[in-house]
Amino acid sequence: MTVPSLAPAVRLDAVSAAYGSRPALTDVSLTVAPGEFLALTGPNGSGKTTLLRLVLGFLAPARGRVGLLGDTVGDLSVRERARRVAWVPQDEPSREDVPILDYVLYGRYAHHRTLEGDRPGEVALARSLLASVGLAGRESDGLLSISGGERQRATLARALVQATPVLLLDEPTAHLDIAHQLDILDRVRALARERRVTVIAALHDLNLAARFADRIVVLSHGRVTADGPPASVLSEELLARVWGVSADLHREARSGVPYLVPRHLLTEVSRERTAPAAGPVHVVGGGGAARPILRALVDEGFIVTAGALHLLDSDTETAEALGLASAIEGPFSPLSPSTRERHRRLLANARAIVVAPFAVGPSNVDNLWDVGAFAGATPAFLLSRPPIAERDFAGGDATRAYAVLLERGAREVADLPTLLPALRGTLRGGPDRAAAGAADRADG
Amino acid sequence: MGAPDVAPAIRPSRRSARLVALVFAGAGAVIGSVVLESVLLRPYPIPLATSLAILVHALSGGRLVPDPCAGAALGPSGCFGATFIVLNIALPEVLLAVIVGAALGLSGGALQGVFRNPLADPFLLGISSGGTLGAAILYVYRFGEAQADLYLPAFAFLGSVGTGLLIFGIARGRQSSVETVLLSGVAVANLLSAVLSLVLLDNPFGAEQLTFWLLGGLALASWTVDGIAFGGVVAVGTVLCLYGRELNLLQLGPEVAQSAGVDTPRVRLQVILLASLLTAVAVAFTGIIGFVGLVSPHIVRRLSGSDYRLVLPGSAAVGALLLLGANDASVVAFPSSYLPLGIFTAFAGVPFFLFLLLRHRRAAAMGPP
Repeated sequence: MTVPSLAPAVRLDAVSAAYGSRPALTDVSLTVAPGEFLALTGPNGSGKTTLLRLVLGFLAPARGRVGLLGDTVGDLSVRERARRVAWVPQDEPSREDVPILDYVLYGRYAHHRTLEGDRPGEVALARSLLASVGLAGRESDGLLSISGGERQRATLARALVQATPVLLLDEPTAHLDIAHQLDILDRVRALARERRVTVIAALHDLNLAARFADRIVVLSHGRVTADGPPASVLSEELLARVWGVSADLHREARSGVPYLVPRHLLTEVSRERTAPAAGPVHVVGGGGAARPILRALVDEGFIVTAGALHLLDSDTETAEALGLASAIEGPFSPLSPSTRERHRRLLANARAIVVAPFAVGPSNVDNLWDVGAFAGATPAFLLSRPPIAERDFAGGDATRAYAVLLERGAREVADLPTLLPALRGTLRGGPDRAAAGAADRADG
Repeated sequence: MGAPDVAPAIRPSRRSARLVALVFAGAGAVIGSVVLESVLLRPYPIPLATSLAILVHALSGGRLVPDPCAGAALGPSGCFGATFIVLNIALPEVLLAVIVGAALGLSGGALQGVFRNPLADPFLLGISSGGTLGAAILYVYRFGEAQADLYLPAFAFLGSVGTGLLIFGIARGRQSSVETVLLSGVAVANLLSAVLSLVLLDNPFGAEQLTFWLLGGLALASWTVDGIAFGGVVAVGTVLCLYGRELNLLQLGPEVAQSAGVDTPRVRLQVILLASLLTAVAVAFTGIIGFVGLVSPHIVRRLSGSDYRLVLPGSAAVGALLLLGANDASVVAFPSSYLPLGIFTAFAGVPFFLFLLLRHRRAAAMGPP
């Protein structure tokens, strides 16, 4: 190969691209090293396929430069591009029932001269590649008579026969069963590790991406919103922000690979208002005391978070049913440092805090102390019926914490009908982003 | 769903055996057709043995059958006449059928490949009509009459290529579905026939000479015409046959082809130009003969699979045989009259076209396998 090995395999410098007037990618910069396995992910329409099309030269960038092994993609001939980068597209609408061995051999086009036939070595290579994707003995089956998953694997073989240093995959696992998903990605990763083939794969499955890729790049609305190794990129916050999905992040005990268990969609209302200017209302509850408050606030259109709750608690069920971000502890246990940390993050993020009239025991009294840390800066509302003395099962600790809250400026409200107008008044009058910006400018 | 369209597992050796058989069948068909034509068509019947003898005499340079008229009671002038009919009338006609059939078949195969559409055909897409219009303008306005043989293909070419590019421009934008391409062709062909009518109204004296284009026939055949047509078809056809690998990849989708190294826009343009050029040569000398281009590639795909490296030359061979057969059939059915071949191919081709269309619709309704 005449390509200098030090050049990045793929490099995007401040690239923007558009389809007509609709922007598809905005100011994307990305450098992919030789042998790297990069997973490209993001919601539908976030620009994954556009990025691949730019690298393939199907689309010229409106701004910026796309580099392929040291050269600008647009400067390379179609044939030279095909010697450097191969493509496994999402779905190929073939019109001809070509035997799959021929189909794979078509991939050698860029290596042939005019009128040159298939070389014997190429036929052997094509056969072995078909065998390696589990299609041994199927060489003469027609492309249209095999299943979608088999076609996808044949397509991978066709891309591999091109013998390029860069391989682009667009949803390579879409039609594959779970065994073939693992098998194909395993093979692709081996290519990256052993032959230093650079792989960029658009993948919807974040868990597969985390498992196989060296690096995950998350696109959202045509911009890179996260970029790094899977362990640092994947988070519950990312899922909520980019996909609007509530999910639990776990780590595999053995490998430490992160994996996400999606729970449900964040509701339409809450997602629309997740813009920072709207600001969330955080509700502290337990034992079902917060249920009516959570429902009412969501119905009113507030963005609501909840915590710190316990599993199996009816408040927890409500929060989950409503799709609220919440800090959740294991059943009946005292709040762990990590849950409290998560709870404090939610509190810090809140523009108003509501403390439901819940029964306070040793396992959740820390909730009140944690609210205390924020009650000074953030408006806090305490539901005062029944009074705290009647629901203090923490040996007076709850009553003391409640007093501290009042001392720091928390307001008592009698019930839900009084809470709602008070909350609305606070949030309307409070500094929103525009007002804050204006104040900043006035100060400067 | 029935068996797949194409026998997928044909060994290369069997493929080439079939091609060799095709070549021999073709040569036999040509000789048979010449004899058939000389025996049946002429007002002065030539005995079968004599016409065969004349042909063998000429082909062997006089070494075999030194005196072809020996057995027949023709006399010296009769023998001269019979020889003239066989060698200068019947043979050029049959050869023109072969040349034009090959051009149309190859053009159809290439167009089906580049449009990724099994119903594409130079006639259905209006490319033939464009060629006719070009030729009509030449005739009606009498440009360069002295060298009509050379101007004719040039004008027909301009008309054909212009139409081909127009259809391609219309159909390229979206996924060029069968319907889009065909309807574009129908629309353009209608427009062209309206323009043709205008041209004829402008100069009614040209109408008579044009009739034969509209019907399509071999009446213009001569050694000169055959020579020009042969040269054009061989030159253009050879180049077009080199696009087999590109067309194979184009079947997988324009972008897949590009990712494999095919300069898709350029290849498409080149193939359309070449196919239009072939059509133009055919149209210039024989007028509109439809459906040969549609049918031939389908027959080849049945025989040898969908590899365009075989489909292209195969379509030329099958097209030649089809037009030869159509000519033979018309001679047998209506001896002593020049029935335009276009009528004949339409009678055979339209039912086939409808069959393909219905099968395609059924396949589309059932969704991809």
